[in-house]
Amino acid sequence: MSSVSRVFKKGLAGLLPWLLPIFILLLWELSARFGWLSSRILPEPLAVLRAAWNLALSGELWTHVQVSAARAFIGFAIGGGLGLVLGLLTGTFRSAEIALDTTLQMIRNIPPLALIPLVILWFGIDETAKLFLISFGVFFALYINTFHGIRSVDPALIEMGRSYGLSGWALYREIILPGALASILVGVRYALGFMWVILIVAETISAQAGIGYMTMNAREFLQTDVVLVGILLYALLGKLADSAARLLERRWLKWNTAYAAT
Amino acid sequence: MHIDQIELARVDAAHSQASGLDVEIRGLVKRFGERQVLHGLDLDIEAGQFVAIVGRSGCGKSTLLRQLAGLDTLSAGSIHFNGQNREALDDNVRMMFQDSRLLPWRTVIQNVALGLAGRSQDVRSRAEEALAQVGLADRANEWPSRLSGGQRQRVALARALIHRPRLLLLDEPLGALDALTRIEMQRLIERIWRQHGFTAVLVTHDVSEAVALADRILLVEEGRITLDEAVALPRPREHGEAPFAALESRVLKRLMTVEALNQRNQLRGRVSEILVGPVLSEIRVDTPAGMVSAAISTRSLREHSLEVGAEVLAAFKSTEVMLATVA
Repeated sequence: MSSVSRVFKKGLAGLLPWLLPIFILLLWELSARFGWLSSRILPEPLAVLRAAWNLALSGELWTHVQVSAARAFIGFAIGGGLGLVLGLLTGTFRSAEIALDTTLQMIRNIPPLALIPLVILWFGIDETAKLFLISFGVFFALYINTFHGIRSVDPALIEMGRSYGLSGWALYREIILPGALASILVGVRYALGFMWVILIVAETISAQAGIGYMTMNAREFLQTDVVLVGILLYALLGKLADSAARLLERRWLKWNTAYAAT
Repeated sequence: MHIDQIELARVDAAHSQASGLDVEIRGLVKRFGERQVLHGLDLDIEAGQFVAIVGRSGCGKSTLLRQLAGLDTLSAGSIHFNGQNREALDDNVRMMFQDSRLLPWRTVIQNVALGLAGRSQDVRSRAEEALAQVGLADRANEWPSRLSGGQRQRVALARALIHRPRLLLLDEPLGALDALTRIEMQRLIERIWRQHGFTAVLVTHDVSEAVALADRILLVEEGRITLDEAVALPRPREHGEAPFAALESRVLKRLMTVEALNQRNQLRGRVSEILVGPVLSEIRVDTPAGMVSAAISTRSLREHSLEVGAEVLAAFKSTEVMLATVA
């Protein structure tokens, strides 16, 4: 009896955070049904679902998602990879820090979106421009967190490692990299968030495919439901990327009680 | 207990050729910038001897230990192990730190095996053996964060032992542990030292720990050795025994007064006035440089029976004045 009620309570507690969104959806649906909201401003949720369904059936949706995701991850791989490598370099070697860090810190203060006019002049409006913007945007999140992670590895542990015969790569593998990993993963999460923001802007400048292209196209034809599908897709992809990063944290930082899965 | 004794005796016999390193320090000087920490220190340690270094914090005892470990460069002087110049980081030397310094991202057994080369199977079996020696074989696959402070130090000890060091340096490894765990760890360290026969240098601020473990107690003061006392008590030593307590109090007394013996920050004078309070008493001393006021607890004033007119030494620490009677 008591266990049943406990299960029920648990289910209720799990449901609680969803009550408000469900209520808002219901309100939205009702106001569209009763004509309080014009479908041009906000079509009813069911219409959005229907639009998504149709796009999925025609296969259009998948091509756009694929193109966008590929852009995002190629840009992330280039910018994030460079950020990681340079962060490791400047974090590990004083000389690299002296040579590079001031320059990088100056460039860091440029908002990536301010570069759009210049990027269009350089690369035109094709794929390279988008990849450049995304790479630029994610670079610093990884660079700074990697640098900081390496610098904040407990010097007492490094000293211990040295006195126990570790040096070079072994010291790096056993102590420096694992010690910096938590900070690097924070950088990855930031970079992923940033990646989507820049992708959206880059795709709305001009594109022949992708979620941004789909929504801009829909705007031309006043298909508000498709625009909403695009926005929701961005939200979903962003959430997916973030969950993946969290999964990495749980897996790689399971020694750390702050990250351990409960 | 009896069987244990015989067992230990046999093990001792097996290691009678002492696999420990013989240490010879000559004129050791260490400066950090302007500040000189070690002032030309000389010290010889026989192979297999257990030496405890006591002293107040900041006296240079940890610096001396780090010099032996090769963690800092020396400013002048020399250190020889078995007649050979000490190399920067000697594989025969292992250090146990005040904090265990376990890698939180490695399991207990991975921590123990740190820096050990060889086939992974051999490494694992050696690590298991070392863990068994410190009584933690069953915790091999746990994260260090799951262990208590005492268990972590035992893992750190296993990590040091696996390299079969010939000189084991212990930098206040038991300072953060509760009294019972500390005594347990002291017994463990003593047992392992007798089994392995390495030379051991223990830095501690706990005089009773020094008396319990060491063959020889050194007192370091202002970067110099000011007391070198052999401990002739039979092992294993019990904390409560009379000779133990006597030696402990002798070293402690010396540790407390040695501060006042430093020539540079003291003034000779005569007690001019004693103001007795309920807890603290004030003693005023006339010195050539003027009046000096020292506060001491009323209880210790009664024990030392200081009188007006007595000749004393007033020694200055950073914020307080200490008094020593002049014989």
